[in-house]
Amino acid sequence: MASVELRDIRKSYGALEVIHGVSLAIVEGEFIALVGPSGCGKSTLLRMIAGLEEISDGEVLIGGRVVNPLTPRERNIAMVFQSYALYPHMTVAENMGFNLKLSGLPRPQIDKRVGEAARMLALTELLDRKPNQLSGGQRQRVAMGRAIVRDPAVFLFDEPLSNLDAKLRVQMRTEIKALHQKVATTSIYVTHDQIEAMTLADRIVVLNGGRIEQVGTPLELYRTPANLFVAGFIGSPAMNVLEGTVDAADGEPAVRLGDGSAIRIAPERKVRLGQAVRIGLRPEHFVASGAGNAISGPTLLVEPTGAQTHVLFEFAGEQITAVVDGDHPARHGSLFQAAMERNQVYVFDRATGAAL
Amino acid sequence: MTDTTSSARMTAGTRLYLYVSLSLIAILVLMPLVTTALGGFKSLGDLRVNPFGLPSEWLWSNYLDILFGDRYWRQMLNSLFIAIMTVTLTVIVSAMAAFTFAHVKFFGSNQLLNYFLIGLMFPAATAILPLFIRIRDLGLLDSYWGVILPQVAFGLGMSILLFRNYFRNLPEELFQAAFVDGCGYIRFFWHISMPLSRPIVSTVSIITFVHSWNSYILPLIMLNTEEKYPWPLGIMVYRGEFGTDWQLVLAFITLTILPTVIVFFVAQKHIIAGLTAGAVKS
Amino acid sequence: MTDMTATMAAVPATARRKQVRYKSPTVRGRLPVLILFLPPALLLFTLFVILPMGEAAWYSLYRWNGYGLPEHFVGFRNFEVLFNNAAFSQALINNGLIILVSVLLQVPLALWLAMMLAHRIAGVVAFRLIFFLPYVLADVAAGLIWRFVYDGDYGLVAALAGFFGAATPYVLADRGLAIYAVLAVIIWKYFGFHMMLFIAGLQAVDRSVLEAAEIDGATGWQKFRYVTLPLLGSTVRLSVFFAVIGSLQLFDLVMPLTGGGPSNSTQTMVTFLYTYGVTRMQVGLGSAVGVVLFVICVTLAFGYKRIFMRHD
Repeated sequence: MASVELRDIRKSYGALEVIHGVSLAIVEGEFIALVGPSGCGKSTLLRMIAGLEEISDGEVLIGGRVVNPLTPRERNIAMVFQSYALYPHMTVAENMGFNLKLSGLPRPQIDKRVGEAARMLALTELLDRKPNQLSGGQRQRVAMGRAIVRDPAVFLFDEPLSNLDAKLRVQMRTEIKALHQKVATTSIYVTHDQIEAMTLADRIVVLNGGRIEQVGTPLELYRTPANLFVAGFIGSPAMNVLEGTVDAADGEPAVRLGDGSAIRIAPERKVRLGQAVRIGLRPEHFVASGAGNAISGPTLLVEPTGAQTHVLFEFAGEQITAVVDGDHPARHGSLFQAAMERNQVYVFDRATGAAL
Repeated sequence: MTDTTSSARMTAGTRLYLYVSLSLIAILVLMPLVTTALGGFKSLGDLRVNPFGLPSEWLWSNYLDILFGDRYWRQMLNSLFIAIMTVTLTVIVSAMAAFTFAHVKFFGSNQLLNYFLIGLMFPAATAILPLFIRIRDLGLLDSYWGVILPQVAFGLGMSILLFRNYFRNLPEELFQAAFVDGCGYIRFFWHISMPLSRPIVSTVSIITFVHSWNSYILPLIMLNTEEKYPWPLGIMVYRGEFGTDWQLVLAFITLTILPTVIVFFVAQKHIIAGLTAGAVKS
Repeated sequence: MTDMTATMAAVPATARRKQVRYKSPTVRGRLPVLILFLPPALLLFTLFVILPMGEAAWYSLYRWNGYGLPEHFVGFRNFEVLFNNAAFSQALINNGLIILVSVLLQVPLALWLAMMLAHRIAGVVAFRLIFFLPYVLADVAAGLIWRFVYDGDYGLVAALAGFFGAATPYVLADRGLAIYAVLAVIIWKYFGFHMMLFIAGLQAVDRSVLEAAEIDGATGWQKFRYVTLPLLGSTVRLSVFFAVIGSLQLFDLVMPLTGGGPSNSTQTMVTFLYTYGVTRMQVGLGSAVGVVLFVICVTLAFGYKRIFMRHD
């Protein structure tokens, strides 16, 4: 177990820089998720921490020690790959013990540690199987088993669940979380799935275009996104975004939309009159009735999911998604009426995207 | 031309046309082989009047004389030794070289690979005289190695290419996982690449073996002593000696191709796949 | 004051980053692997493939019997001799003829058989095996077997002629016929290989495309002409490529059949090289044949790949 620190990490391929100075401090035992759209550099960053990718500039420290010149093995990290990368010609036990075998550990000790790890992951029955005789979830567990057997300083996960079907993904997510609570090893987890990041991580790092957009706990990111990108990335269904200009309605700050309607915003927003902004409305913040901004429009589409219903309606010339209770009587063509408190309305500068 | 739909919708006419055409060609293909084998059971006079039919009297002596002589066995063993050594060396040497091309980045690796691929473009025959002189100057003339080493060398282009493409298609993450597990290149080669390469080892081995087993021009030029002749040379000598005693020559031919035919029918899937896939992949 | 400490802290951090340059980790054993793994192949290949080829070019400029050193420089005299030699011209013509027959007869025959064997009828596997069998046999054995077939006294062709009351033909002894007899054996020996290429190619053709064509109303022939054949394009080009390269190397099959005779009527470039270069130890002349063969092979290989196979 160890802390991990990144100091102004850069990565360039020739003249093309893809990671633009990332700094991050991860404390011992923390579970960190790196999220972002594909191509944001999250996997590259992980692989630089692992030692699989050359670090063009900056320093990586593990346990307070600069590890730039060290091999993955010397960094004492373990990695779970997207494709699991199990050795197809070795049994589960051999897969898990390969690392220990290479480091020259005597056979009885290897067996003991593999056995422990197998028990922890319910793999004991499968130790003599080959990877192609395992189901997707079992392979996933073997990949994790291979990582924990060696008791590494840091676990690195590279989109480990993306090859599984939806149901199994949820199950394995739970298992990973349970495992982390049990072994409490510092973990860095790369995913493009914000729900995975939210449910698993102590803190989330949102990356975009090779830069950190925001670092924070899942709820911090959800509640106080630093900018429009994070706001749009975290939360599902995605936040509705509308363009407008800052105005005053009845002496209170509001945003005047394209069709002339005004949306009141919280007085503590740091806006100035006439500023070009975007406002963000989370679909789940609409309430059927209540105080605040009244928002209504013709219903375009109704998607029941059971407990909740997604309603797509038109407002201020835009299509807006709202998540309402499953009992809500929504019908195509009828008028959808809802309200949203002004504190729930996010405001972003239109030019920079920064939260105001 | 015929279509490729399922047999359910095939008319009786189509079916008849297929079977008649295929059978005719099969007869044309097999006729020389079958008459050769049968001819080995005939007397010369019988062969003269009746080359097609069954022997009027089955003469086992042609075959038995050959099987109880040491000439046949010696030639077969010579061929076997040369082929096995050629295959072993080719697999080891080309797998190692291909591994560096597939996984190790080094200056000029592409150029070096292209250098080996030159070998795919021309047959050994083009350089046969200088090759003879080189082997002679190395003192390898009339030794098995004078045949084996050039055979290995001329097979390198194709086998390096086959191995390299195979290694490259192994998942990249496997390599990284092994790196994280603490493998260096050599351990990766030994613990991961080679155990996973059984299919390509078998392809390369089959191509190389068949090629060596059947090869004629290299041993013809490099070997002088009849005791060292592999069977394609031996069979030519045998025919030279027994010129017009066709029944003996036919029995000898039959016995020499028999192992090939048996192995082909036993392992046909691998052999066909190896010989055609090997050609296509390179 | 607070501003001061902030900048103070910032400056050393960036300065340190600029100073320390880490050598990034490489996979262990890069140098050993290069030193151990490459030289065996490199040595064998250079010694027995590349150097002899270069030497062939060098020797081809000399008159030399292979002993001592090549000292008798004759310039391009060997090539002159070669191209004025009737037997060599015949060899070139024969190689051309072999290519022509391989491409125009053998490849279509192979494709036709492959199409027939694509049907799911009983016995397909057996037919496939039979057709491929000649390909696995050694050229020398095949040549000898066909020498028997063609034999005027004991062979099958003689018996057939006798059956029809014709005079016994001595096929392989006939200057006009011998080359055609050789061509027939070439087809017999190699069509199975090309057929297998086409079978593999046909298996890669998506059946639903053919079914779509059927629904569009294509007849059997139209399906072949407009769907199957275009989709097999790369296989056809590959098959022709092998036919050409294989034809140029022909030696093992011709030696037991005719040895290049009668009166050089069945010489190929390689049998010519053997007969005139190797057996008479005319190293210069033989090397010149090698150089010509090399140039033809490389030109054809490059030209063909560039013109026909650039998209494959």
